[in-house]
Amino acid sequence: MEIKTNEYRVWVESGTIHFEGTMRLSSPAEYAPIQALMAQALADNASRLDLDMTALEFLNSSGINLFAKFTIDVRNRGGVGLGVKGSTRIPWQSKSLPNLKKLHPALDLQIV
Amino acid sequence: MNEAFGLPLRASLDSDRWSMRIQLPEMLPPAWAHCGLTAEMLGGLYSRVLARAGADGNEARHGIVYLCNELLENAVKFRHPQAGSIELAIACEDGVFEIHLCNHAEPVVAAGFRALLEQIVGRDPGELLLERIEANAMSEEESSSGLGILTMMSDYGVEFGWQLDGGPDGDLSPVAIHTYARLRLITNAGA
Repeated sequence: MEIKTNEYRVWVESGTIHFEGTMRLSSPAEYAPIQALMAQALADNASRLDLDMTALEFLNSSGINLFAKFTIDVRNRGGVGLGVKGSTRIPWQSKSLPNLKKLHPALDLQIV
Repeated sequence: MNEAFGLPLRASLDSDRWSMRIQLPEMLPPAWAHCGLTAEMLGGLYSRVLARAGADGNEARHGIVYLCNELLENAVKFRHPQAGSIELAIACEDGVFEIHLCNHAEPVVAAGFRALLEQIVGRDPGELLLERIEANAMSEEESSSGLGILTMMSDYGVEFGWQLDGGPDGDLSPVAIHTYARLRLITNAGA
């Protein structure tokens, strides 16, 4: 599974969804294909899923909302481990990714 | 109808205190992609100034880009269809980046924004952000419940002031929405 544009790329590999580039889409509707890919990856990885954002340079608030909704969805399902990997090199990740941990305390958040 | 929320506006758009002003007239309406391009330009320019003053250049650039991109995206998304001009003014002194942005909105859109501001002002933004995220997750509808503003306040420490200038109740003319935001990027600098 892969979504690729000039600005960003999202793909699934070995139980990890990788995000790369700059995501500044204008609405939840424009984020819907990415949301669908994430939902499919979750369905395919019933015990644990990881999100690798270490190459996601920029994300607007609509995109942050997408990840927040996904985190709540995983939390509400129960029984699925969720890992999120970020980078200290990219300032938005240290600022906003801890909110996902507040939404889902069992989330494995690593910002390195 | 003139209403103010949060910080007072620092200066009018034509004040000499701004170091840069950008006017996007109706005849040159910005597309969505121009929000990011403009924000990147401002982040690139002003982070150099801040880095020379002792700020972390990467943090400064990213903070300015995030703030400007969110404000411009909101201005483009909610602008009045017949009054689409957008004006912004920038200042950067003593480790603080300031922006004043003005756009126009339809009265019904402005009323929704006013209701949002009434809920935001005086609340803890971090707490309200999580509440709104939880509420959004339960809703299938697209939301304009201010997550961008709350993220800027909660995660970046941005301080805001707004002024809504419109006609009397029932007047259908465009409402001018002034947004003033300041982002401190050198913590030990003067106010």
